[in-house]
Amino acid sequence: MKKQSKTSLIIVSLLVLILLVISLFPFYYMVVQSVMPWDTVDKQLFPTEFTFRSYEHLLNQGGGTNRSMWLRALGNSLLVSIPTAIISVMCGLWVGYSVTKLRNFSGKRIILNSLLFQMFFPTIILLVPRYMIARPLANTYSGMIIPLAISVWANYMYINYFKTIPDALIEAAEIEGAGHFRIIRTIAFPIAKSVTTIVFLSIFMQRWGELMWDMLVAPSVDMQTLNVLISTQFKPMGAFPGPMYAASVILTIPIIVLFLMFSKYFKEGISFMLK
Amino acid sequence: MTQRKSSNKRHNTVGWILNSPYLIYTIIFFLLPLGWALVLSMMDWNLMSPDQTFVGLQNFTDLFKDARVQAAFINSYRYLIPIVLLCFTFGLIIAILVSKLPNKIKGFVAVLFFIPYLTSGVATSVVVKYFFNYNSIFNIFLRETFGLNINWLTDERYAFWVMVGIVAWKMSGYYALFILSGLENIDGDIHEAAALDGSQGLHKLFHITIPMLMPTLTTVLVLATGLAFGIFTEPFLLTGGGPNMSTTTWQLEIYNASFTRFDSGYGAAMAIANAIQIFVTLRIINYFTDKLNKKFGY
Repeated sequence: MKKQSKTSLIIVSLLVLILLVISLFPFYYMVVQSVMPWDTVDKQLFPTEFTFRSYEHLLNQGGGTNRSMWLRALGNSLLVSIPTAIISVMCGLWVGYSVTKLRNFSGKRIILNSLLFQMFFPTIILLVPRYMIARPLANTYSGMIIPLAISVWANYMYINYFKTIPDALIEAAEIEGAGHFRIIRTIAFPIAKSVTTIVFLSIFMQRWGELMWDMLVAPSVDMQTLNVLISTQFKPMGAFPGPMYAASVILTIPIIVLFLMFSKYFKEGISFMLK
Repeated sequence: MTQRKSSNKRHNTVGWILNSPYLIYTIIFFLLPLGWALVLSMMDWNLMSPDQTFVGLQNFTDLFKDARVQAAFINSYRYLIPIVLLCFTFGLIIAILVSKLPNKIKGFVAVLFFIPYLTSGVATSVVVKYFFNYNSIFNIFLRETFGLNINWLTDERYAFWVMVGIVAWKMSGYYALFILSGLENIDGDIHEAAALDGSQGLHKLFHITIPMLMPTLTTVLVLATGLAFGIFTEPFLLTGGGPNMSTTTWQLEIYNASFTRFDSGYGAAMAIANAIQIFVTLRIINYFTDKLNKKFGY
């Protein structure tokens, strides 16, 4: 490694710090406004008083069959995002394994071509018919989960990962008589841990942030996700800013905490995305 | 021989079983809607009623006369160009700066820059709407200090740039992670050779770093293009596509046509037009990046 002079490191750190402040400022602003007294929301950058009134307001604002529609919406968001991420991971694991490790699988070509076609296909074309197909499932969890459950990107992540795993590892287990489902469970799944983490988190995040589909397929108050509830409450100009900030904090912070917890896997993940 | 055959057969059975969820999904939620969309685009239909009238290519010819479609078409490029330029510039700046940090904190800082990417467009829209509100501290500050009275979201001159700013803010750190990963794959020897030749600073950036990063930058360009064509949440919540259609996007117009005005056949035709535009644009971008990549020896 080349030696760096101390001054250049200080300049670099200073620039990084400035850019970080810019890119993280909206989060600071959002959190601070969510704990301000209501009469000073959007009026101060540095709070002089703290209150949890905005959060209490969310807890007590009823709607539908629930005391707090916000808690219900938070639950709905979780109940939709977690199964979606699990299905994407499972399907990706299976497709990735079968396409790279089953040497004699005759459907390999079809699967790879189909994935390639879908990868660059603009899904907006499918919006109206997909909605028609899913309409019998309107306002159900399955209607929100299934139509967006499988991710072409996740399949590619697993394919690219398993390509780097030596076939000998799988063949050895095969010769010992292990079935493929057992190999997937005991060998493939554990070694793909880092890819699984990335895929799970990314799909979870994407689904958590989805707005259009949930608005269409689950408009009833009891089924609304947090995203949909915030946008319906916030679109008419009348909403109090404080609770909207609080709801945004609840919408944002879990994802950030999750990603920071697993950040060590990310470097590796990005190198697979580039392949 | 027999063993080979049985392994063949087993691989096939297992293969099809493992792929069945993907294949079934593809048939129900991809192929079927795809065919349906093509049929729908030639229908006049309000999403609910049992009557559908076949109108042939009427929907497509109507597209050409529709001011909203024209606005969406042009806005795709109005979004694409500044978004790509901003994401590139900031992504590259962030990546180069972070790569110069000590190894111990590099990864963590890169992840901090990645945080805006994680934010749901809804949360961003809430913050932006109130932050740019008439009575927010920011606008009060502008009025009292500079005498500026700007309606950020209702003035045509600014609303578009607010949208561009949101997307660039959200995506730069994400692309920086890609570029950083590309930077680290550049061989150390090349830097040494460059140093021996006396190549430094901006000269090095344009003659060594950027050419070496071409494959990564191509990936970023394609991703950013897809992104610019897919903008929905921010204009939907903040401007409704206005003022005067300056911030509208295909996604927003297709959503409105299909689900607000219930003109679903027309919405389907719009979606197909949008897809054709995306396809052609990506081909053009591919053509030029291929040429550039060839020039730099990839």
